[in-house]
Amino acid sequence: MSQSEGAGEKGEQLWEPRILTFCCNWCSYAGADGAGVARMQYPPNARVIRVMCTGRINPLFIVKGFLAGADMVMVLGCHFGDCHYLKGNYTCDMRMSYLKAYLQAIGINPERLYWDQISASEGIKFTETMHNVVAKAKALGPIVNEIGAYAHGTQQNGAILGMSAFEAYAHGARQNGSPAQEVADDIF
Amino acid sequence: MYYGRATDKLVQERGECGGLITAVLTTAVEQKLVDGALVIKRDKSIYDGAPYFATTREEITDAAGSLHCAPTLSAKLIKNDFNGARDLRIAVTCKPCDARAIIELSKRNQIDLDNVYMIGVNCGGTMLPERAREMVRQFFEIDPDDVVKEEIDKGKLIIITKDGQHKELSIDDLEAEGYGRRTNCQRCEYNIPRMADLACGNWGVIGDDAGKATFVEVRTEKGQKLLDTAIAAGAITLKGATPQAIALREKLDGIMVKMARKAMATQFAQFDGEHKFERLFAQFDKCDGCRACIDVCPICSCVECFTNQEFVVPKDTVPPDPMFHLTRLMHVSPSCVNCGQCENVCPMKIPLATITHMVQSSVQGTLGYVPGQSIADAIPLSKLAEVKA
Repeated sequence: MSQSEGAGEKGEQLWEPRILTFCCNWCSYAGADGAGVARMQYPPNARVIRVMCTGRINPLFIVKGFLAGADMVMVLGCHFGDCHYLKGNYTCDMRMSYLKAYLQAIGINPERLYWDQISASEGIKFTETMHNVVAKAKALGPIVNEIGAYAHGTQQNGAILGMSAFEAYAHGARQNGSPAQEVADDIF
Repeated sequence: MYYGRATDKLVQERGECGGLITAVLTTAVEQKLVDGALVIKRDKSIYDGAPYFATTREEITDAAGSLHCAPTLSAKLIKNDFNGARDLRIAVTCKPCDARAIIELSKRNQIDLDNVYMIGVNCGGTMLPERAREMVRQFFEIDPDDVVKEEIDKGKLIIITKDGQHKELSIDDLEAEGYGRRTNCQRCEYNIPRMADLACGNWGVIGDDAGKATFVEVRTEKGQKLLDTAIAAGAITLKGATPQAIALREKLDGIMVKMARKAMATQFAQFDGEHKFERLFAQFDKCDGCRACIDVCPICSCVECFTNQEFVVPKDTVPPDPMFHLTRLMHVSPSCVNCGQCENVCPMKIPLATITHMVQSSVQGTLGYVPGQSIADAIPLSKLAEVKA
């Protein structure tokens, strides 16, 4: 995940939560668009991934998100009854309740997973949710406190603690033979 | 619920507690109710219980008697080596975990349950062969090969040697030293195989019948059919169990369940508290990625394993990416039957069964699903319970 003011050498006070956000194409993503078009202000901590339906989200994507360094994962879908594919959001709801119990069992605070429903017309709800979730993420603190060095992807790029492969690439960390470069080359 | 025993003298002698199961299996095979019986047979020594597919009276009688060093699981055998019992009928002697695993696999369309007759046997736990040998050498101070019979009764491990000596030690004491039953057996709450077709055992057999008859509870129509066949052939005799006997059986079960809950609390405590994730991974990072746990797991039955996808688990790293273990845990734990196979085969001795069972017991409340109880319960997350308004 790209984050120019990432954690690490720059010190704790600069830490900003990174929030991986899954938005459903038909409702929440349009809601986020609506918030943008209406020029509503909200914190820039979310990294949005658009999915066709929240029913497509494998709970393991969320677990992988935490390992990739997301401090919180947010799943936004349609209201019950509004799903474009009829029951994708019911499926998601069912999976999220299991996932919360699972996260608790493996030692990740289930509060770090936030699941809500935002329709295409609810730009205001989107900005409010974003404010609330960022405040919550700040209260919860960095994911590193809970899962340590595992929060940076694989064991391989554990060598570039504090920086994901994508960040390394985006920042042009191109020193020859640096582990960051090797990992980045592997991925891209 | 009945007391039953075999009518044949040889079967009575060779079998455990009156030889009821041996007699039932024999008639089932001889009357063509089944094509064969999957039983546990003593192989090289009493520490070596191995699965055996018996198709004749002699072979079944040969395998009679109980063994406690048989940490086997028949469910995956039926799936892999008998084509899921799709084209032959099998009677199988089951520990509760075998029966639960068979039910879980049949929910996943891997075993045809109509062709499997499960004869359940009460199980207070099994031991690992190599640990049992060590234990006999160290605590009983005799040569393991001199032992001709072992028995677990009333919380005691009893062994009988070649020259007729009886020796016994409390299992609690042995387990405090790290020996005794497998750790998953210590945590097991299912000691009476109520999910099988017949639930047999020696619990609740009192008075003159003690040691000479088997307590048998009929759980399904298939179970009734097995007993009826054996009675019609004159191979067994039954008499009704007294209320005291039934109460005693329940009481013994209650004691075992209480012990299991205590073992769960103590074994799970090692991971509780601060930095749980890192403590789990201190274990998982021993992994060398051999995938033996996946091969033996009765829940893992996907043709294409999700952990083979490179975007989930990058290839060829040792230890494997954390996602390997997290994926396995997520997929297996809702249905884990606590058979302990993963832990037993792990070359790095990772307490896999303990961790999976721990996750299982904490997600169980949310899912409202107890694995392996009935074919009627849907696999968790496979069905929307009801569409909310």
